[in-house]
Amino acid sequence: MDTMAAIKQTFFQECEEQLTEMEEGLLMIEREEGDLETINAVFRAVHSIKGGAGAFGLDDLVRFAHTFETTLDGMRSGKLEITPQVVKLMLRSADVLSDLVRISRDGGEMDATRVAQMTEELSKAGGMAPAPAVQPAPAADFSFEPVAAGGDGAGVDEFGFAPVQISFDTLISEDVAAGAHRFEISFTPRPELYSKANDALRLLRELGRLGDMEVACDVAALPPLDEIDPEGAYLTWKIDLSTDADEKSVREIFEFVEFDCDLSIDVNVIGMDEESASQTVEAILAQVAAEEAAQSEAVLPLAVEPVSAPIEPAAALEPAPKTPVAANQQSQPAAQSAQQPGATIRVDLDRVDRLIDLVGELVINQSMLAQRVTEAGIARLSDVAVGLDDLEHLTREIQDSVMAIRAQPVRPIFQRMSRVVREVADMTGKSVRLVTEGENCEVDKTVIERLADPLTHMIRNAIDHGLEKPEDRVKAGKPEQGVVKMVAAHRSGRVVIEVSDDGAGINRAKVREIAVNKGIIEADAPLTDAEIDDLIFAPGFSTAATISDVSGRGVGMDVVRRSIQALGGRITISSRPGNGTTFSLSLPLTLAVLDGMVVTVAGQTLVVPLSAIVETLQPKAADVHGLGEKARVIAIRGSFIPLVDVGSVLSYRDEEADPLQGVAVMVETENQSQCALMVDGIIGQQQVVIKSLETNYGHVFGVAAATILGDGRVAVILDVDAIVAGSRSDVARADANRKRSAA
Amino acid sequence: MGKPATESITLSNELDIKAAGPLAAELLAARGKDLAVNASQIERVGGQCLQVLLSAAATWSADGAELTIEEPSPAFVDAIQTAGLDLAQFTARSN
Repeated sequence: MDTMAAIKQTFFQECEEQLTEMEEGLLMIEREEGDLETINAVFRAVHSIKGGAGAFGLDDLVRFAHTFETTLDGMRSGKLEITPQVVKLMLRSADVLSDLVRISRDGGEMDATRVAQMTEELSKAGGMAPAPAVQPAPAADFSFEPVAAGGDGAGVDEFGFAPVQISFDTLISEDVAAGAHRFEISFTPRPELYSKANDALRLLRELGRLGDMEVACDVAALPPLDEIDPEGAYLTWKIDLSTDADEKSVREIFEFVEFDCDLSIDVNVIGMDEESASQTVEAILAQVAAEEAAQSEAVLPLAVEPVSAPIEPAAALEPAPKTPVAANQQSQPAAQSAQQPGATIRVDLDRVDRLIDLVGELVINQSMLAQRVTEAGIARLSDVAVGLDDLEHLTREIQDSVMAIRAQPVRPIFQRMSRVVREVADMTGKSVRLVTEGENCEVDKTVIERLADPLTHMIRNAIDHGLEKPEDRVKAGKPEQGVVKMVAAHRSGRVVIEVSDDGAGINRAKVREIAVNKGIIEADAPLTDAEIDDLIFAPGFSTAATISDVSGRGVGMDVVRRSIQALGGRITISSRPGNGTTFSLSLPLTLAVLDGMVVTVAGQTLVVPLSAIVETLQPKAADVHGLGEKARVIAIRGSFIPLVDVGSVLSYRDEEADPLQGVAVMVETENQSQCALMVDGIIGQQQVVIKSLETNYGHVFGVAAATILGDGRVAVILDVDAIVAGSRSDVARADANRKRSAA
Repeated sequence: MGKPATESITLSNELDIKAAGPLAAELLAARGKDLAVNASQIERVGGQCLQVLLSAAATWSADGAELTIEEPSPAFVDAIQTAGLDLAQFTARSN
């Protein structure tokens, strides 16, 4: 049943996309940017989920999706006025639907009362009876006795083609007015359709839900029992469907099976009442039949069985073998047009990752080769060296292209946060607006995936702890509705995501008090404001006193920081009393490669990310000044910039190096401040493949990751911000200690 | 024709793709005899099992044997209706 599992997996992947589309649409409607097409898109998304869920017998999901869809249909047709309340209801229903999908996928218990309640609200809003159970179909109107053969000659010795009028009114309460479209559908499943866990009957049921349907089954191709392949496909259905739905909705039903069946869908628009309509249809049919007959004897009218015409089974059966050919011609362009909008393929992520790994090896190999060439003393202008340069360009291009495969916009994750905001706002009774910017910013897929939890936690915190209660906000002269803002942007080769609120800011006195009580700091520890803010990230800081059931999920900000660090990122906090707090996440665009400057410090080879470097210079004695006990600054073009000895920050050496003997690498940190890193010498620039230290070993202060150099040695990649921050707090502490001892 | 013994089989509740093969085999084993097929247990039936049952009825009919469907369950009836078929197509009368 591997195929089955695989299809199911695809279904859930598609569900994710549909859910995203649905939520996106609803949010647009909420912002009053949506139009009819937006509602249609939402409707389609829900409908597709329902369709797929039906195939896998996910009844709860089908039932709820059905109710949801029906209410959406009310919105679409204008029966249900779109008010903010209605949109809110839709958004909450969307959340329930997401949960149902998730539970169907991952298992677990759905809160049945929540679903029931939501269903009722939806039904009420849509002005309809609660949705009926989908399976099994009730059969109130059917009463059958055992049918014994040999009665009246309803024989089946001739394979018949017997249209049966089906009314789904008894099965589905959805009331579909006699449609504006009449579709003539010819549908011949192939064995693959069944083997991929779809079933012709389910598709027919789906179709029936769209409107009034008349189905005729052509059994001419069916072999006798001793020749039949039980898992083969022999039946052809001719379906006559009158519905309000458009062609797209009809095609959507066949979306998952379009390559596993022969399908033709012809549409006629009907603008009149039933009777004249059917007359017209018959007239059209007659005309079509006549034309086709005139055109060619070989082409037989396929999907043109008159609605109410008497049936001549034998005659009607003849065209069956032709059906696949003609239907194929029709379905081909349809399939193509469906492919057109985003020509994409689904690729197993493992394959992409393997490709990326291999490209990484290629980069290492290429740099090793370059090193060998240099060591061999081959001239830079020789053919070999030039060829090697070309190889380097090519390698880089391959790398960029491969990375682009994994890059995805942060939009989905931002969208997911809007739900978090809704829920937390409901729970805390605060009114919150989420503003997002830069959703199109692209980041590595892995980074995006692993951002969900930290971001969720930060948003929860921002609303629960950051924003004040509405009445307090009014008192403070702020609008009652709080704003949580999420902004993503590319900044010097990294992506920065900021989560900010316009709340009260961090209550530093309280934070300090908590930290002292928890034994994180000494009661008299001298701390700067920034350091106090930073205490929020200290392990064990999260406290029962501040934890509500909103923020307190057993995850503290220390876990958030660790998960961001595990991604090679950094999280910083800045807060202004009365004006709010901003958390800033700085993340690498990719987890795989980096342009670096290879330097030596105390006999070690290190890599400084090129994205952080502004310039390099040789310090002169006159420019270097001591500042306080430990700190030194360097004067560059009239401004003083802290000078940090990498060797001593990383404890490679005890004594600070002589600035005049080394090179100063000017770097810019995430918060835009500059700093000069002292290194002993520069070896050169190189593209390096990042090998995570966290994955293979653990986090080390001042080290972002490691890499393998051309000569096969391991070099660590510096975490510039951490080194700068580390040296600062050293200095600050030394400073404060000195002040204290002086006092 | 002397009246042959009437065999009877009861269809299982889940007639999906996996059931089609065994169903065909079970029906074939009963070939040549009048057959009463009890359909009361059916909860779900897929297109392929309908095919097998249809083919059986046609085969029985060609053989001149009798095939009846007994106590068709609502789900079975619904499936037949959905497929645009008639219960009569699933039966064969003796001649």
